[in-house]
Parts: sequence; structure tokens; C-alpha cells
Amino acid sequence: MELPKDLYYSKEHTWVLVENDIATVGITAYAQNELGEIVYVDLPNVNHHFKQDEVFGSAEAIKTVSDLFMPISGKIIETNEQLLKVPTLVNSNPFDNGWIVKIAIEDLRETENLLSAEQYAQLTNN
Amino acid sequence: MKIALFSDIHANLPALEAFFADVEKRNPDSIYCLGDLVGYNIWPNEVVNEIRKRKIPTIAGNYDFGIGRMSNECGCAYKTDAEKDNGNISISYTNSLMKDDERAYLRTLPAHIKVEFQLNEDKLNLLLVHGSPRKINEYLFEDREEKSMLRIMEQADADIMCFGHTHKPYYRVLNSGIDGQDHFRHAVNIGSVGKPKDNDIRGGYVMLTVDENSSVLSKESISVEFIRFDYDFEKAAKAVEDSPLPNEYAENLRRGY
Repeated sequence: MELPKDLYYSKEHTWVLVENDIATVGITAYAQNELGEIVYVDLPNVNHHFKQDEVFGSAEAIKTVSDLFMPISGKIIETNEQLLKVPTLVNSNPFDNGWIVKIAIEDLRETENLLSAEQYAQLTNN
Repeated sequence: MKIALFSDIHANLPALEAFFADVEKRNPDSIYCLGDLVGYNIWPNEVVNEIRKRKIPTIAGNYDFGIGRMSNECGCAYKTDAEKDNGNISISYTNSLMKDDERAYLRTLPAHIKVEFQLNEDKLNLLLVHGSPRKINEYLFEDREEKSMLRIMEQADADIMCFGHTHKPYYRVLNSGIDGQDHFRHAVNIGSVGKPKDNDIRGGYVMLTVDENSSVLSKESISVEFIRFDYDFEKAAKAVEDSPLPNEYAENLRRGY
């Protein structure tokens, strides 16, 4: 399964792209595959602050609903509004157009708690 | 106004016949079918024709949608590879049994039925769907978070939302009122006539009663009765065993799972 090398991963199946002090967050291809077709993504409000590992929203799929856990602490600066119209972007492009939120990173050192692509591949037996 | 609601017959003719015998005794004012007439047993055409000849307003379930289009995909969320393999046998067997006219009926079934009551100078919307208003095959289980359930009902403008698909009946009343003004919304999973999965082998359906006092302002102004009826489940299970369908489906009928 696809697993870009330039991202950090969390055990809760989110990914983070760090660009300076901005992080883009989404869920992994593994997670979307486990969930199945996504019908709604419950997005947080802009400016809301979340701590690392805190629930920041949920993904509602055909079979089940799954909480989304914030991989790195920070303030929401943008949400992917396209998902309100086309939630299946998370299924079709989990690492690209299917991104979920962008946040202003609070503490870059928290990336030390995250996994590399190799470590995440091991976690998911990929 | 007594409204009988049934669904998820899944080609189980003995269960459907027992349902009709039961419901006719109770003399409802109207009857609606919420889909999934076919799949998992040997009588898909007979089930279609029994419903059709009574001219019962019926919506499509995910299985009807797939078979209506001669698809090899029923929109079912099987969990394991073994379940998927069994599911593939069921859909290809059902496709092989289905006659043209009955298939055309399935293909043209509507997706939703909306019934608007105007009582007490207010409106009360009853929405009938198979899985959810947004997806024919979405599973709305009883443990769905209140916020999510309310959002689904609000977006669909449903005060009473009746659905099936999970084969596990339940009734929840939620309040979406704001500023101290109540607005009660009723979510009713009507269970399954021919393939119950709540560990009760009897068939199940719902009798919904709306009267002249029914209102979104009053939580108890509609009534939802869950009715269970016995049927010859052994006949339905034996039919499965004597067919190319997987024997697990016979066991499911004997266990109510």
C-alpha cells in the first residue's frame, strides 16, 4: 500500500506533512481501506486548538464511525471544505486531495513521538 | 393512522407469508416496504410478486439495487474473506434466479418515500429509507453517536426516520430543539422480516401510530410497536441447504443471526 516517505505517521493512522511550522493532516491509505467508503467527515472549527492525541473530528463510513486523533498539537488554520461535498476524496486520494486539516504547529519536537514510513509499515504489516 | 413498516425479507417466502398473515389481522391503514426483497434464499421472484400484487409502496434496498442492475456487487459490508466468498455465491445465485420482469421492478424502485403530515397547524415529516438518507447501504446501528444521528435527520428534514438494513431493531428519540424549544426526532430501525440478526429467530416489523395530537413538540405523541411473529424457519433453512447457497445462511436463520 502507498506510503509516502516524507510524512510522519501516528499509531492512530493519521499522517502529517510538516512544512516549516505548518502541518497538513490526513488519514492513511490503510485507515481509509479499513473504514470503507466514507460518507461524511466531521471537521473541527478553525482556530480551535487541539493537543497531540486528542480527538479532533470523526470520519463516518458505511460500516462504522471512527474518531480522528490529532497527531501533533496546534491550532486549526484551515479545513478541507471539499470533503463536505466529496467525502470520498479521503478514499481516493488519502495522501493528497483527501487531506483533512492544516494546523499551526505548537511544538515541532512532538514529531519525535511519531513514526516514520518504515515504522508505520511495520505497525500495519504493510 | 396505523402504519405497518417492514423490510429485509431477503427472499424468505415462508417469513413473508407469516408476516402478511400477522399484519392483516392488525388491520393497519397503510403498509410500506423498506427494501431488500432478495438475496440469501431461494424465493426472490416469489417475494417480489407477493409484495407487488398487493401494490405495497416499496423502496429499494442495496441488494435490490444490485440485482436490479445484474451487478455482482450488493453493497454489503462483509467483514471477512469467508463472508465475502459466501456473499459472492448468494449474489450470483440470485442473479441466476431473477426473472426479467421482476428484475425490472427492482431496478425502478424509488430510493426514498417522504410522507408529510400536517397536524396541529404544524408539519411532521416521516421519511422512509433503507440504510440512511445519504446512502442506501449505510449501517445506522443503535450505538451511533447522537450528534451524528441528529445531523443525518436534520439534513434530511426527517422528524420520524424509519430504516432497516442492519436487521437489528431499535427506537431512539432525540431532541434537536434549540433555545429551550423542543423538537423531538424519532429514529426507528424496523428490524427484518426474513433474516433477523438480533438473536431472535422470529420475523420482525414495526407498527407506527400517528394520531391527531402527534407533534415534534411532544416526545410521546407517536407510538412505535415492535411486533415479532413465528414462521416456519426450518422450511426456510432447509431451502438454503438444498440450494447452492452456503449452509451458513441456514444456520443464521436457525440462530437469529
